Amino acid sequence: MNDTESLALSVAGVDVQLGDRLIVRDCSFTVGRGEFIGIIGPNGAGKSTLMKSLRGMLPLAAGTVRVFDHPIHSLGDKNAARLVAYMQQEVNVGFGFTALEVVLAGRYSYLKWWRNESEHDRSIARKYMAFTGTEPLADKPVNQVSGGERQRILLAKVLAQETPLIFLDEPTASLDLVYQEEIFRYCQTICAEMKSVLLIAHDIKLAAKFCSRLILLAEGRIVADGSPDEVITVENLERAYGLHAAVFMNQVTGNLDIHTYEAPAQTQQPGTVHVIGGGGAAASILRALYEQGCRLSAGVLQPGDTDADVASAFAVDVVMGQSFCAIGAAQAETNRRKIAEADVVVLGNICYGQQNLDNLQAAFFAHKLIVIEDTPISERDYTGGTAAGLYGQLVRQAQVEVMTSEEFMGRVVTGKIGKQ
Amino acid sequence: MAGKRLNKKLVFTALGLLLAGVTLASLAAGQVKVPIESVLAVVGRHLGSPVELPGVVPTPEQIAVIWHIRLPRTLVGVLVGAALGVSGAVMQGVFGNPLADPGIIGVSAGASLGAVIAVSLGLTSISLYYMPLFALIGAVLAVATTVALSMRDGKIPVMTLLLAGVAVSMFTGAVTSAILTFMNEYRLREFLFWMVGGLDYRRWEHVYLAIGPVVVGILILCVLARHLNILVLGEQEARAVGMPVAFFRMLLLCVSAVTTASAVCVSGSIGFVGLVVPHIMRMLIGPEHRSLLPACALTGAIFLLACDTVGRLLIPPAEIRVGIVTALTGAPYFLYLLRRAQKAGGL
Repeated sequence: MNDTESLALSVAGVDVQLGDRLIVRDCSFTVGRGEFIGIIGPNGAGKSTLMKSLRGMLPLAAGTVRVFDHPIHSLGDKNAARLVAYMQQEVNVGFGFTALEVVLAGRYSYLKWWRNESEHDRSIARKYMAFTGTEPLADKPVNQVSGGERQRILLAKVLAQETPLIFLDEPTASLDLVYQEEIFRYCQTICAEMKSVLLIAHDIKLAAKFCSRLILLAEGRIVADGSPDEVITVENLERAYGLHAAVFMNQVTGNLDIHTYEAPAQTQQPGTVHVIGGGGAAASILRALYEQGCRLSAGVLQPGDTDADVASAFAVDVVMGQSFCAIGAAQAETNRRKIAEADVVVLGNICYGQQNLDNLQAAFFAHKLIVIEDTPISERDYTGGTAAGLYGQLVRQAQVEVMTSEEFMGRVVTGKIGKQ
Repeated sequence: MAGKRLNKKLVFTALGLLLAGVTLASLAAGQVKVPIESVLAVVGRHLGSPVELPGVVPTPEQIAVIWHIRLPRTLVGVLVGAALGVSGAVMQGVFGNPLADPGIIGVSAGASLGAVIAVSLGLTSISLYYMPLFALIGAVLAVATTVALSMRDGKIPVMTLLLAGVAVSMFTGAVTSAILTFMNEYRLREFLFWMVGGLDYRRWEHVYLAIGPVVVGILILCVLARHLNILVLGEQEARAVGMPVAFFRMLLLCVSAVTTASAVCVSGSIGFVGLVVPHIMRMLIGPEHRSLLPACALTGAIFLLACDTVGRLLIPPAEIRVGIVTALTGAPYFLYLLRRAQKAGGL
C-alpha cells in the first residue's frame, strides 16, 4: 500500500476556511484501495467540511488533495465525478422524482450533454438498486418512501456513479438501528471489491464494528488515525469529546463497547472504596462509584462474572479468584488487606455459597461498612444457615449500616459515599 | 403530490388531439360562425393543399376572417401558451420552488416598462413592431440586471437571485407607474390594453415576431431537460454527479427568460399559465422534465386557446381578454390544488 499507484486518496496539510473561521486544520492522511474508513468526532469537529473539501466542493486554504494522483481541484466536474461519488447529509428530493430517476442521476458524468441514458446506464442503475434492495421501489416517488429506503436509494445512486472512491456523509443519520447496520454492511461489501469508502459516522460503536480504520477528528484536527481499537481509547475519547468513558469488550456482542458518563461536578477528594461483590451484585455499585470519581478496589470476584467484567472496564483494582473454586488463602489475605485499607467498604446483595463465604467473613475487617440488602439473607443463603448466622452478627456491629440499593444510589449521587 | 402517474403515451396522444380540437374550435367560433369544413378548406388552400374538400366553397368573408383574423390569433395563442407553460416549468425547476414563474426574475415588469416607453413615445402608431420590440428589450434588460445584481465570483445564489428579481421588478414597476402618470388618456388606455394580455387584433406580424425565438427556445429547453432533472435535485447533488451547475442554471434561466419575453411581447402579460400548467402536468405525468416540458408546451397552448375562445363567446359582441380569463380560472384552481396539497401533508 505504499506506492502511490494504489493510493485512492492522499491528503496533505489541508486547511479549510469558512468565512474567517478555520474549520479544518492541517489534516493529512492517505486512503488505500479497499479501505473502509470511518470519520468520527463530535459535532462541529469539521467532519462534513473536511469531506466536502476532499470532494473539491470547498476551496482549500492550504494543502493538497490528490485523488488517484490527480489534484481534485484541477479535475473537471465530470472527471471528478467519475472518481469520487459523494452522498451529502441531507438530500431533498423534491417534485416527486421516482427512485429510478434519482439513481439514474448518478450516470450523469458518463453522458454527453445531448444524450439520454442508454439501456446500459439503466441496467447499471437497476443492478445497484438490486444490490441495495430498492429495485421494487424503482417507480415509486422518493418522497413517499421511508427513511431507510430513501438512504438505500441514495446509496444506489452513489454506487451507480461507479467510482473507485466513495464519500458518505452520515448516511445513517436518523435511521433505525437495523437500517444503520445495513448501510454499514453494504459498505463492507463495496470495499471487498477494492473500492474505498470514507464514511462520516455519528455512532462510534457502529463505526468501530464495521470500519477497517477510523479517523477521529476534533476541532478540525485529526486526533487519532488507525484501527478501531487504536483509535477508540479512553484518552482519545476524552481528548476529542471531552467525554468520560470506559472502553471495553462487550461480552455479549464481541465488539468494542463504550460506556460514557458525566464527570462529577465538584472536584472532590474521595477516599478509597472497596466493593465486595459477585454474581452481578456489585456491577451497578462499581459503575456509580466510578462515575463519582472514587478510587475503587473490589474482591473477591470470579473471572467471567459480570462484576469482574464491569470492574475491568472501569480499570478497578480487583482481587480475582478462580472460577468454581473456594476463595484461596492468598486472595482472602489480599482482600482483607484492601478492606482494612479502604475508607468505606460496600458489601453487595450477594448470594452466599461455600465458595464465597470468605467474602462475608472478610467484611468484618472493615472500618466502615455499608451492607446492601435488597432481599432478606434467608433467600440468599445456600450454606445451610452458616452465612445467615454470620450475616446476623455482622449487621449488629457498630460500624455497619444497612440499606437498600436504591438508598445507596441516592447517597452516591449526592456524593455522600466515600467522603470522610 | 404525485398520485397515480398516467401512461405517458396516452397523455401525449390525448393532449395532441385536444390541441387540434381546441385549435379548430378557436378558428370556427366567434361572431362570424364558420363551419369546421370551411375552416379546413381555407387553411388547406393557403397551405397549398392539392386536395379540395368536396362541396365546400368558403365565402370570401369566411376566408378573410379565418386567414387574416383568426389564424394569426390562434397561432399567437399556441406560441404564447406553449412558451409560458415550458418556461414556468423550467423556472420552477431551476429555483426548486413550485411557485416560481418567469415573472419572478423581472421578465413581466421589464416587458411592461418597455411597452410603456413605446406607448409614451408615440411609436405604436408608426409601426406595429415597436411595442413588442420594446417589450422584448425591456424584459431582457430587466433579467440581465437581475442576474448581474446577484452574481458574485461567477456564482448566482438562488436566494439572492430571487431577491434581486423582486427588487428589479419593484423598481421597474415604479418607473412604469411614473411614466403612466404623465401619459394622456388615450395612450393610457393603449397601455392598459397591453397590460391585460390579450390575443385580439394579433396579426401575422405578431406570429412572425414570436415564432422564431419561441420555437427555438422551447426546443433548446426540451433538449436540456435531462440537465434540469439533475439541477432540481439541488446544487450539491448536481455538483456531486459532475454537473457544471452555474453554467446550466444560467443557460436555462436565460433561454426561458428570452422565450417568455418573446411570448409576452406579442400578447401582453398573461398570468397563471406558467404557474398552473406545470403544476397540473407534474401531478399527471411526474417531474421527469423530458416528458414534462413537451407536455407543458401542449397544455399551455390548449389552456390559453381555450381561455381565449371562452372569452370571445361568453358575452358577445364584447370580448373578455384572455389574461383575465386565465387569471379567473387559474387562480381558483391553483388555490384548490394548494388546499389539497396541504391536506395531503405539504407540497
